[in-house]
Amino acid sequence: MNQRPYRRTHRTARLLAAALLAMRLAAPMTAGAYSLNYQVADMCQPSSVSGGTSCPLPTRFDTSVAGSINRRWSASLGTNPATILTANQTPSGQLAEIANTITTDFGIWTGVSGTTLSLAVLAPLGQTSVQDACDSSDGLNTICFNQPDAAFTTGVLSFTRVVTADIVGEQAGPGTPLSTFPGEILDADILLRPGDSTVTFATPAALASNPNAYDLETILAHELGHFFGLGHSGVWAAMMQPFAPGPGEFFGTRPTAQSPDAPLADDDRAGLRVLYPDPTDTTHIGVISGHVLPANSLELPAGTTEVFGAQVVAVDAATGNVVAATLGGWSCSDPGPPQFDGFYEIQRLAVGPTQAYIVYAEPLDGPLEPTDVRGDTTALCRNAITDASWPAHFSCTVPAVNDEFSTKVGAGP
Amino acid sequence: MKIFTQKCCAVTFLVALLAIATQATTLEQMDLAHLAHAAQVVARVRCLSSESRRESGHIWTFTRFSVVETMQGALDATLLVRLPGGRDGHLVEGVEGVPRFLPGEETVLFLERTRTGDWSVTAWAEGTFRIERDARTGRERVTQDSSRMPVFDRATRTFRAQGIARMPMSNFREKLAAAIGR
Repeated sequence: MNQRPYRRTHRTARLLAAALLAMRLAAPMTAGAYSLNYQVADMCQPSSVSGGTSCPLPTRFDTSVAGSINRRWSASLGTNPATILTANQTPSGQLAEIANTITTDFGIWTGVSGTTLSLAVLAPLGQTSVQDACDSSDGLNTICFNQPDAAFTTGVLSFTRVVTADIVGEQAGPGTPLSTFPGEILDADILLRPGDSTVTFATPAALASNPNAYDLETILAHELGHFFGLGHSGVWAAMMQPFAPGPGEFFGTRPTAQSPDAPLADDDRAGLRVLYPDPTDTTHIGVISGHVLPANSLELPAGTTEVFGAQVVAVDAATGNVVAATLGGWSCSDPGPPQFDGFYEIQRLAVGPTQAYIVYAEPLDGPLEPTDVRGDTTALCRNAITDASWPAHFSCTVPAVNDEFSTKVGAGP
Repeated sequence: MKIFTQKCCAVTFLVALLAIATQATTLEQMDLAHLAHAAQVVARVRCLSSESRRESGHIWTFTRFSVVETMQGALDATLLVRLPGGRDGHLVEGVEGVPRFLPGEETVLFLERTRTGDWSVTAWAEGTFRIERDARTGRERVTQDSSRMPVFDRATRTFRAQGIARMPMSNFREKLAAAIGR
């Protein structure tokens, strides 16, 4: 048997694109849109703590209780060199300027309409003088500017630690709250590289006079997107796209009191609405879903029934703006496991009598490649290799991303 | 509703969903020479096992390797590397840009001691080069984990996605030897 029959024939195949495409108002658990991080619950546990489903669950905070998402930052800034540059040089003014930037950054995300991630679910922004305040086991969501963490190696400028649970009733550490659902974020810490004179971050007020510094507001806005559970976006204009602006530059439009979420793109907002849907939202209730099909299903790799790993994007038909993008290829109905059936779904789209969308699909054959989505796709399955004695009927193995098909080249949106 | 497919969508959007890579972690652009300069050791290693546990308030993953070949510096026959993140019981600590290794997998790693004295990988994904064997030719190829990641180039002060991808091992060795020799 030829080991590579699929590659040989699919190079010339034409994607039939979405054979099933529908606008509807309710959706099953699916491939999940945008870029979310997933957790598969521990199905070795009773359903009372596992939730009873092996369908991948997006990782997110519990927003059901007002003030439940704590947040603080370490006022230890380092002095030689300072990590954060401010316009106000007085000690109190410096701290106030940084606190204002952090508050504004949280407001960027809580300013998105149609989500339960409102300002009300955030606890007041706290401050600590502890230098090494970013501890993954304390249940305190902390931003640290001066923590010489052992994880830093040469070349690492900043990173975010996010701790999630795969069952109900787990704790980040002793004395911290119990998880109320699998996939709940229990602790999230953002660390910026300290003590490096060549790597500094400036508040918006100080950026113009410090062109070699990174824009603190932009870096934190992006990091907070991860903090709240979002992954990277494929939309150029999105805050969550993976390419950060260079030093001296900031991303998009600065937030204002009238438009606190101004730096975000529709894709960012749509992703947040999927993670934290507001049941009272009557505007963003549209769903586009379908299957990406190959020209010849006999040429599919083992383990798949349709195309896995196609990029699907929705464009506003009137404006031409990209509204949202997703990685198609799987679906899941309780109790799982996921089926690799070519399914895609883009949720939380605005609806209206004149609202229409154009949907595009393309393979992961560049500019990014299947290896680039390894992290996303491998989180979809657990099996006996990843977990000893994992129940066979809840096992799955993520197939190779399917990039061996061609698509028709047409005019851009 | 109009339905068709096209590649020029890439002008408007980047194919994405890079949960494991990039900007949640921000890396400085480092070429082979910079990596070699920063690293105390460069070695070809084979993953033997990996385990995660909590230590000092965080979950860390400790991966044991057998040393196949040392290209710079000196190592014992086996090597233990400590990297942030991993799974500990029912908790998962995620850190983007950190390489993970499967038993049997071979890589070339740029290694440095951290402040705790443990070995770690210089610039995480940038200092990790996966070795794969071409199914048709049997020849080895090398791909840098960060080859599709945007990383910061300090010289130009811009983020660029570049790196070594699917390079024949012989070519990689030549480049590495030149980088170490600088």
